[in-house]
Amino acid sequence: MPFLDIKSVDYAYNSGDDEYIQALRSVSLSIERGEFVALVGCNGSGKSTLARLCNGLILPDRGYVTVDGMSTSDKKSLYDIRKRIGVVFQNPDNQMVTSIVEDDVAFGPENLGLPPDEIRARVDWALNCVDMSAYAKSGPLRLSGGQKQRVAIAGVLALKPQMMILDEATGMLDPDGRAEVMRVVEKLNREENMAVLMITHFMEEAARADRIIILDHGRVVADGDKKLFETPDVFTRAGLDLPISVRLAQKLRARGLDVGCPIDIDSFVSSALSALEVQRGEVKSDEEKNSNGGGEV
Amino acid sequence: MISVQKLSYVYSPKTPFMSQALFNVDLEIEEGDFFGIIGGTGAGKSTLVSHFNALTRVQKKSGTVIVDGIDLSSKKINVKSVRERVGMVFQYPEHQLFDDTVEKDVMFGPKNLGLSPDEQRARAREAIELVGLNYNEIKDRSPFELSGGQKRRVALAGVIAMKPKILVLDEPTAGLDPVGKRAVMELIVKIKTMCPTVVMISHNMDEVASYCNKIAVMRRGEVVGVYTPRELFGSERVISSCGVRLPLVTEIASKLACSGLNVDPSITDEDELIEALVALKGGSHA
Repeated sequence: MPFLDIKSVDYAYNSGDDEYIQALRSVSLSIERGEFVALVGCNGSGKSTLARLCNGLILPDRGYVTVDGMSTSDKKSLYDIRKRIGVVFQNPDNQMVTSIVEDDVAFGPENLGLPPDEIRARVDWALNCVDMSAYAKSGPLRLSGGQKQRVAIAGVLALKPQMMILDEATGMLDPDGRAEVMRVVEKLNREENMAVLMITHFMEEAARADRIIILDHGRVVADGDKKLFETPDVFTRAGLDLPISVRLAQKLRARGLDVGCPIDIDSFVSSALSALEVQRGEVKSDEEKNSNGGGEV
Repeated sequence: MISVQKLSYVYSPKTPFMSQALFNVDLEIEEGDFFGIIGGTGAGKSTLVSHFNALTRVQKKSGTVIVDGIDLSSKKINVKSVRERVGMVFQYPEHQLFDDTVEKDVMFGPKNLGLSPDEQRARAREAIELVGLNYNEIKDRSPFELSGGQKRRVALAGVIAMKPKILVLDEPTAGLDPVGKRAVMELIVKIKTMCPTVVMISHNMDEVASYCNKIAVMRRGEVVGVYTPRELFGSERVISSCGVRLPLVTEIASKLACSGLNVDPSITDEDELIEALVALKGGSHA
């Protein structure tokens, strides 16, 4: 049985004035332990609604959601479900509850009623995972956005979940903060086998996931691995951008230069170089000497 | 249009929480500029621009700020006349919508300017149409039931209805999807035709590179320098010393150039890179 299983889920919410908005329409998808999945879609496509359904913050109107075999509609299971799935939201300032970083991280384990030694161990481990041990005694409000989000991630980690949902967790960060958070999330996925569901508007981030799900007007319109980028139409039809490398490759192909479908900047650079096969043998060897020399120093 | 000289600013002075946000900042913004301000979190960007409409007052003996001829460092200033000139759009401006209809929300500014009700309505209509919304369809709706993109447009309309000469935007596209980001940037370009001076704080290097004619780089409360996009993103020295990230297209161009390909490493425009690569292809076959 998949770790997270969403089956034929419909969900509508009341937007005020008794107008209902159908946020999700017969959505089915499942996520296994250890998977790294990106969920993309326009504003209003239903991404955040989907995230809230996963840990029972809201319940489906039709269909079901199970986590590790437990249904989110079963009230008695919610406590166990939320231990298994942690959610990090967009605004770091809304997620801090104490005035000291390590207290903030300890908040979850304390609520689980764990013994003090275990809490200490989990807090130290969680802060270490996100490279924030040095800030254990700091006040959260003095941290940068990226640091605050890493503390928020540590707070979720301290519950030792098996899956983490990041709901545009990098959306308010500067480029350095975004890179910090991505690095930590990728490490947790790799080293702790944590399943990750990452909701993002940054297509370059989405392209780093093993699997990409596209939502459009409440429906899953695509679900696949990186090969999805070979059919750019599925992204543009859903109102999404493409990662820059894919976009450039597409434009080059239209001009008669085939560089394949590189999904990140480095693979674009190497396929552009080999496609052009400029007589750059000598130039390159010179360059290699230089850059290697520079790199070692 | 905006002239900043030796501006310093200290938060919570003379308390244990004192922290200095600006150090001797000098800056000249001219009429017609699309002026970008970049820098990491805590660099002082928002503190700096909040001086431009007197939201933050110049502290004693801490430099001068002159906006459209008004000296904001003098003791007595007419705050109202400053705010008529400078329209300020904060981060997530849709959080500041408050009235029960879109039209009333947008009319709030003109009303505070003391304009007649007819004039207020005319201003609101003009602003709502300028941001690309259908006035008759939307004017009586609650701003809270609109989509995220629409809300941000209404919030922008509220500022434009004041007919400012200078528009200051703090991360206008944060949190929007790619299509929404582009739409807002196009909208700002359109607004710029009637409000010729635009100052924009941004974390998005691709946006800054494509829209701004000048870019100030801030770091730890100081302005490191003011550059054209080409100067900034083409200069290894500035880039590495300020911790600025390259726009993605420039990162690609410079990696290609590093590998010995004959392309300009300071390219900031995608189509320019395409042309350069296509030209090289022609060359290799010749």
